[in-house]
Amino acid sequence: MVALVVLVQLALVVRGYRSAHKEFAFQMFPESSTWQAEIVRVTTDGDRVPITQPWAGYRWDELVTGRGLRHPELRHHADAGLDNQLAFLDAALDYVADNTPRDEETRYLEARVTTWNNTDRPEVTVLRSDDRSDTA
Amino acid sequence: MTAASPRPAGLVGALDELLGRRVSMRSLALLRILVGPVTLLHLRPFVADALAGRIYRDAFYEPYASWYPELPRPLYGTLLAVGVVAAVAMSLGLCTRVATGVTFGVVAYNLFLSTTHLHSNRAYLVIVLAALAVAPCGRELSVDAWLRERRGGPPLDPRAPAWPLWLLRFEAAVVYGASGVSKLVDPDWFGGTVTWHRVVQVRDRLDASPLPGWAVALLTDRSFHTVGAKLIVITELFIAIGLWWRATRYAAVWIAVCFHVAIEVSASVQVFSYLAIAALVIWAVPSTRDRVVAIDPANPRHRRLAGVMGPLDWLARFRVVDGPSGGPVSLTDRDGSVQTGPAAVARVLSRLPLTAWFALPTLALPAARRARRSATPGEPDPTHDGEATPGLTASGTR
Repeated sequence: MVALVVLVQLALVVRGYRSAHKEFAFQMFPESSTWQAEIVRVTTDGDRVPITQPWAGYRWDELVTGRGLRHPELRHHADAGLDNQLAFLDAALDYVADNTPRDEETRYLEARVTTWNNTDRPEVTVLRSDDRSDTA
Repeated sequence: MTAASPRPAGLVGALDELLGRRVSMRSLALLRILVGPVTLLHLRPFVADALAGRIYRDAFYEPYASWYPELPRPLYGTLLAVGVVAAVAMSLGLCTRVATGVTFGVVAYNLFLSTTHLHSNRAYLVIVLAALAVAPCGRELSVDAWLRERRGGPPLDPRAPAWPLWLLRFEAAVVYGASGVSKLVDPDWFGGTVTWHRVVQVRDRLDASPLPGWAVALLTDRSFHTVGAKLIVITELFIAIGLWWRATRYAAVWIAVCFHVAIEVSASVQVFSYLAIAALVIWAVPSTRDRVVAIDPANPRHRRLAGVMGPLDWLARFRVVDGPSGGPVSLTDRDGSVQTGPAAVARVLSRLPLTAWFALPTLALPAARRARRSATPGEPDPTHDGEATPGLTASGTR
C-alpha cells in the first residue's frame, strides 16, 4: 500500500504540469500572471448585456463569490495560474447559465478574457457558457 | 535487538523491514494535538458561512464528479459540526482513533465537494489527517491514555510499525520538492520575473506600508529578484532533501521555520504555515528517552533546567537523572558521547520543539562545535533510531 500511495502521489505531481487545478501537485505561487474579463449575457434577440447589471433578480457577485471571480471586470492576480483561473471562469459561466431559472432571455454567457502571462503581452481568449436554449 | 533477527534479502526486504519496524509514535501523537487547532482554523470559514445560512452550493461551485454524494443542507451543517467536535476530540486524544478518522473523513469529504475548495494547504491537511487516522497515535499524550491509567489498565505500547511515519515524511518532502522543482523548470520563476513582477504589482501597498524607502526600493529591484528567486528555489529543494539526512536535518528544519514565517507574513496561505511548521515534528528520530541529562539536584540552576525540560520535552527525548553533587549538567547522547556545561544545555534546548529554533544556531558557534568534537565518546545506545524504547534503568531516574 505504501508503494501505491507513493506512485499515486508522484503521478499527481507529474499530472500537475498539465492539469488546470493541479490537485495534490503542490505547485505553489506558480505565476505573477493577471487577468480581467468582460462578461456579457447574449440574449435570444442578440443583445449583449454586461453581467455587471443585475438581471431577473440575479447578480453575478452573488452567484459567483469565490476564487477571485466575484469582480471579473477588475484586473486580478491569477494566484494559482492562468490555466486554473480560466478553468474556473469557464465553469462559473456554465454554473450561472444553469442556475438562473428566472432568466428567460439569456441564450448564453460570454467572457472576453484578457490575460497577461507574467510579463508577456496580453492575450485575449473568448469563453462561452453552455447554450441555455439546449436545456430550455 | 535486530542483530538476532534474520536479515531481509534485497532492497524490497530492507524496505519492508524499515516500514514494519516498530518505532515510537510520539511525534505523530504530538502532531495530532497540533493539527486539531489547524483543522478548526481550516473549517472556520465553512462553519461561519453555514451559521450565516450559506453553504458552498449557494454560489458557484463545481463538483469533481456527478456521482459524488451531496448532503441536504441541514445534514451538511451537522457534518461540519461533527468535524469541529471530532477535531477537538482528536487534539485531546479522546476516542482518538474514531475522532481522527472522522476528522479526516469530514475534511476530505468537504474538500472533494467542489474544485473551488481545493488549495494546496487543504490537500496537505487531508494527507496529514489520513496519516494520523491510520497510525495509532493516541496511545500517549491523550485523554484515552490518561483514562486507561486512571482505570489501572496497563499502558499500551506507544510503538507501532513505522510505515505511516515514513509515508508522511515522503508526503511532507513532496510538498517542498514538487513546489521547488516546478519553480526550477519555469524560466520565469527561476529567473526572478515572477517574484519581481508580483511585488511590482503591489507596489502601492508597499509604499503605504511601514517599510523604509530603501527596503521598498530593494524589493522592487529586478536584480534582487534574479538572485532571490534562485534562493527560494534552492531553499525549497534543500528542505525537501535536507530533511532526510541527519547531518542536514536540523538546518533544514530551522530554514523551513524561517521559510514558513516569511510566507505567512507576505502572503495569504490559509493554514499552510501552521500545518507545515507543525508537521516538522515528524522528522524527529522516532525513539524516546534515549538521551540522558544528569543534573545536580542541589543546584538551583540545574533544577530550573529540569523544570523547563519537563513541560517542554514534547517528543520525550530525555531522561533526567540525578548526577554527582557539584558536577556540571551533562548530556549523554544517543551515540554515547557526553557533553557538559553550557554545551550540554544548548544541545538540550536545541532538541526541545519550542526552543529548538532559537537554540539550534548556537550549535554552529565555534565553541559549541569544539565542545561537540571533544565530547567524551561512550558506548553507543543500542536502542537508538527507534529500534526499541529504552527502559528506565538508571538509578535516580526522574
